[in-house]
Amino acid sequence: MNRDDIAISLDLINRHYQEPNRNRYESRYFWEELYPLVAAAGFTSIELPYEPVWQFGGRSGVPLNRYCVNTKYGSAAGYLERLRAGGIARVSGVTFDPNLFMRNDSLDFYFGASGHFAGEALGHAADLGADYVAISPSPFYGRIAQYHPDLEAKRAGFAERTAALLSGLAAKAEEAGVTLVLRNEYWSLFGGSHLAGLLDALPASVMLDLDTANLFVAGIAPADFLARHQGRIGCVHLTDTSFVAGEGTWKTPNPEFPEARATQVFRDPGTGSVDLPGIAALLDEAGYRGPVTCSARQTRDPFRALLRIRALLSQIQN
Amino acid sequence: MPNIRYANMCHWKTIPYRQIDNFREFYYEDKTNSAYYSDWDSILKYQSALGFPGIEIAPWDLADIVPLFGSPENFAAFARERGVEVIGMFHGAHASHDAGHFDEAVRAGREAVDTIVRFGGSYMNTCPTQNYFGTGPLGREEVQQCARVMNEIGRYATDHGVKIGLHNEFFCAINLPNHRELIESTDPRLVHYCIDTAQISIMGEDLLTFYDDYHERISTFHLKDTASARQPDSVRYAQDPEITDDGTRWFWEPGLGELDLEGLYRLLKKHEFKGWMGIEYDGSPDLLASMALTRYHLDNVLRPIYD
Repeated sequence: MNRDDIAISLDLINRHYQEPNRNRYESRYFWEELYPLVAAAGFTSIELPYEPVWQFGGRSGVPLNRYCVNTKYGSAAGYLERLRAGGIARVSGVTFDPNLFMRNDSLDFYFGASGHFAGEALGHAADLGADYVAISPSPFYGRIAQYHPDLEAKRAGFAERTAALLSGLAAKAEEAGVTLVLRNEYWSLFGGSHLAGLLDALPASVMLDLDTANLFVAGIAPADFLARHQGRIGCVHLTDTSFVAGEGTWKTPNPEFPEARATQVFRDPGTGSVDLPGIAALLDEAGYRGPVTCSARQTRDPFRALLRIRALLSQIQN
Repeated sequence: MPNIRYANMCHWKTIPYRQIDNFREFYYEDKTNSAYYSDWDSILKYQSALGFPGIEIAPWDLADIVPLFGSPENFAAFARERGVEVIGMFHGAHASHDAGHFDEAVRAGREAVDTIVRFGGSYMNTCPTQNYFGTGPLGREEVQQCARVMNEIGRYATDHGVKIGLHNEFFCAINLPNHRELIESTDPRLVHYCIDTAQISIMGEDLLTFYDDYHERISTFHLKDTASARQPDSVRYAQDPEITDDGTRWFWEPGLGELDLEGLYRLLKKHEFKGWMGIEYDGSPDLLASMALTRYHLDNVLRPIYD
């Protein structure tokens, strides 16, 4: 594992959920104050969640899609220049999840919009010189089931269209020199044993994300996952959790917020139950040298999370 | 029974839980105030406790509310149990100035009306078309086209017990030069008006004159203050002006800006307004604090003038 270039995902900024002072996150000044603080916490690479939602309604202060970046900085190059002035050397990766587009009973709408904006995310990643685009292959299972109660009957067709969409993206990614990586999420339509089938239908250039919290929740040993997918790990997300999923939680419409018992599923790295130093050692043993990104999604305090992660990495790095 | 009832326009971002039964345990996980802003049970209780028995939801809330509650009816019942009723929903009539989008704009408006009926609401405050930047200036025929769409949606809404109220933002393609032209081009039996006190003042209307002129058309309000009335074209017609780069706020809680809201309440008394007054807190860093400050200002300054 390359300890010298571990990125931080800007998903640590809680953009979507309510809490006091959240409104700051929609203005340009907040992000431009953030970059030097990220650098001060020892990170010179960042991962960006690609979020089309910020381009709708004439608001462009959140720099998480191509429209907003172009509106505020003219181009990806202009944005990179601003990042560098703040001490951030590079964008290592971009993530994309299609939950936004699962909002009605039209699969044509879902695949059309998801394909379009995933393509935008890929183009944006290429413009930013990122190594990878990590894509969630499906919305939350329960979110799909909300609009498609006959989801199991539609599963084969959904999988076929997903494979076609991802294969098209993979070809574009290869051309652009970006690695397309599948996120392996426990709430996905392609979670558990369904992942293998999807992978088999995709070009060999499509890689897998090793997300430590998701493996923990799914009850999969990281060593087993690494062994099974040797040579096909495209990026690693160091995430933490103490969540023990109840029966059926993964099938609910918003599984990051378990219905039966409120809990913070994703804890700040180092504060949950995942053996992150142990996993770092496993990656070393496996000779993994690809991208590694820390993520504190769902953190209650992004600035405390930055320092908590730095404290953890100091432990791992020494 | 007072003449005015108070509601809040919903500006809460995603609220992930219906009700947290393990509140203490959830709080102790990281000992922050997130627990206080994570379930609708608490949010609706805050409203109820502070004397806001109505809520106007926003269309962007639907993608979260509907999966969380299963249906609009379930959300409405949950809110009602906590003393809050859904009074309506905001709607953006995208591209209504464009004749090529007539069917689509009317269809989207009718669907929004259907959704409001399912929530049990009766108001649809409607932004007449998109932002000025990239669209304006509109020609006379485009304004008339906009009016045709509003009349058509208004007819369907009226038939279903819903009042649509034009709601103009300061950065809309319908703007100061054609704001009144649009109102006067719509059918007053079918299309009403929701005064957003700050938005129209920033756009350049004089709040008191406007209300006096159009009091018969007013279905409801979005009450908020501003310290930025009469912005120039260069601001209103700029790209994406609603959220400023430097954090400057357009909108403030009643009493914290410069609008003559006491004058407005004297006019409400003169014209005997009866109905819902929606309060809007967009831009506030703390919606709960804004709600409490607003309640104090209402009880001590505005309601003594007209209740």
